[in-house]
Amino acid sequence: MVADEPVASDLVRLGVVPRQGGLVPLRTKDEVRAALETFNAYVLEVPARHAGIVKDVVQAAIPDLKTADFQHLRRVVQFKYLPVHIQKKYRPPHPSRPRGDSGEVSSENDVAEDDDAARYFLISPSSAIAHAELVDVLKRNTPFADSSKPPVILTICVPALAPTSAEQAAKWSVEYWPISYKNTNPYGPHPSLVARNAAEIANDAGGLLGLADAVAEQTFSKGFGEKVACVVVDRTAGINEIIAVTGDCRWRCSGNDAPQRDGPGNVMAHAVQRAIAMVAKKRLRVAGHDPASKPSPHSFCDSPLTSLEEHFYSKDNIPSNGYLCVDLDIYLTHEPCVMCSMAILHSRFRRCTFGRRMPLTGGLTADNALPGKGGYISPTTGLGHGIFWRPSELNWKFLSWEWVEEDTAAMVKDSIKDTLQA
Amino acid sequence: MNAKEKVYHERFMREAINMAELALRSDETPVGCVFVKDGEIIGRGMNATNKTLNGTRHAEFVAIAGILEKHPISVLKETDLYVTVEPCVMCASMLRQYGIKCVYFGCWNERFGGTGGVLNIHSDPSVDKPYPVQGGIFREEAIMLLRKFYVQENEKAPEPKQKKTRELKTQILPMDIHAPKS
Ligand SMILES: [Zn+2]
Ligand SMILES: [Zn+2]
Repeated sequence: MVADEPVASDLVRLGVVPRQGGLVPLRTKDEVRAALETFNAYVLEVPARHAGIVKDVVQAAIPDLKTADFQHLRRVVQFKYLPVHIQKKYRPPHPSRPRGDSGEVSSENDVAEDDDAARYFLISPSSAIAHAELVDVLKRNTPFADSSKPPVILTICVPALAPTSAEQAAKWSVEYWPISYKNTNPYGPHPSLVARNAAEIANDAGGLLGLADAVAEQTFSKGFGEKVACVVVDRTAGINEIIAVTGDCRWRCSGNDAPQRDGPGNVMAHAVQRAIAMVAKKRLRVAGHDPASKPSPHSFCDSPLTSLEEHFYSKDNIPSNGYLCVDLDIYLTHEPCVMCSMAILHSRFRRCTFGRRMPLTGGLTADNALPGKGGYISPTTGLGHGIFWRPSELNWKFLSWEWVEEDTAAMVKDSIKDTLQA
Repeated sequence: MNAKEKVYHERFMREAINMAELALRSDETPVGCVFVKDGEIIGRGMNATNKTLNGTRHAEFVAIAGILEKHPISVLKETDLYVTVEPCVMCASMLRQYGIKCVYFGCWNERFGGTGGVLNIHSDPSVDKPYPVQGGIFREEAIMLLRKFYVQENEKAPEPKQKKTRELKTQILPMDIHAPKS
């Protein structure tokens, strides 16, 4: 894109090597939950013309059944729409002849309009009524009361929550039970919103992460901190205006004290904290309040310390009337720790992209929040906080992506330990 | 908490309330804190988000920045925090990374709380050692200060300034103050 060229050439001049790869949107905490949670439900084979009667019988037997709780599950389904594993349970393949799929399906189609054709009725969650009680109730009512055939009830596993995309609905319809998708995502940003934003930032993301790599290299080689950095940009005008770049400075001497390398170092000097502080100082400067006249405490580490940090800090390229980091995007070499994730949220960033996922310390990803012993999640699979999108609990949310290298074999293998708080 | 302990903790929470009152007089969200080592206050802080235009300048950050001017980072492992409002998720994580000994707070923080109000960053699985927390010390006074701030903000003209200060309330939103969850 022509509009992106000035930024790209600026980065080339600074010796930045763009990363090659693409963006993958993070799943929200609720999306992870929606993808994992299931319950058991009863399915009943019933002649099509009696489906309505059976529905009434079930509602009378389970008066407080809330069908709204499983609206995403189709209630009455034709045989041909059942997942294969359920089809096989109702009509096992004939042992003497190989199952001819075309023959079976066409015969099913032939009788599809027939009132006596079978329908498959999702009765209720199995927690709503005991199996024996359900059989009893059905046997006492039409059509099973007048039939020698007992009701055939299966207990199947179904997703507990609505799907968050059409793809997920299609997948679940094959794996569990026919699902209806309402073209909304109650558990996260709408897929089309995520796709639109990803398309907007995808071209430049590799270059900006490359810049973050270069920034990290500078602060690291001076011994100031770990090889972690971030880049803050304003893309509201359609091109990336780079507002601040900062590297991690946790090991830099504070006052007269050199942090012990076996401890956490100066936590307040993580790259994200420094970047947010520099954005604020820049706004003060542009507004005519020289932040240099009242230096902040040494341990905030909020002044530029390398040539790259100085290069971007010195530009007066931010409006003075903005507040916090509203409308700004942030690119990070690593998934930020819980403190930095919440700092990004407090500062109301618009979008966030990071390089390496940090399953033991990262605050943004929500994946693999599998319940472990005593209600805790297993820390080896991810902390599961998903801080970027928890709108019912925290009062801001932003879109987030992780960067995946084009050549997965060459995934950035940095020397940073898994236990590092980035 | 026995009577003797109560007196001990209330003494320091009173100092934290004093810092919150100072914040209120400075047009900052009234949250204040003190850090205590061996029965002595080694640092004080108050929210400074408006003055700095930085939404992360919470009382806890301001106080620790002051402490680290004089003390090594490791001092925080022998230090307790007294803060008028429950630490937010960000501060709760910072405190855990530094290895804080114990956190005492006044009222809960329903919007951002990181030690029970919303999340449990002090005790959730993490690579860092968990820390104990105790809330509810001078809870009503902490809430009253937040209410005063809210009224003060609403009475204030002119409109642009009011808007700006409202946007910078990241430590707690005064309308969210509430009793502890049962
Ligand atoms: Zn961090
Ligand atoms: Zn805080």
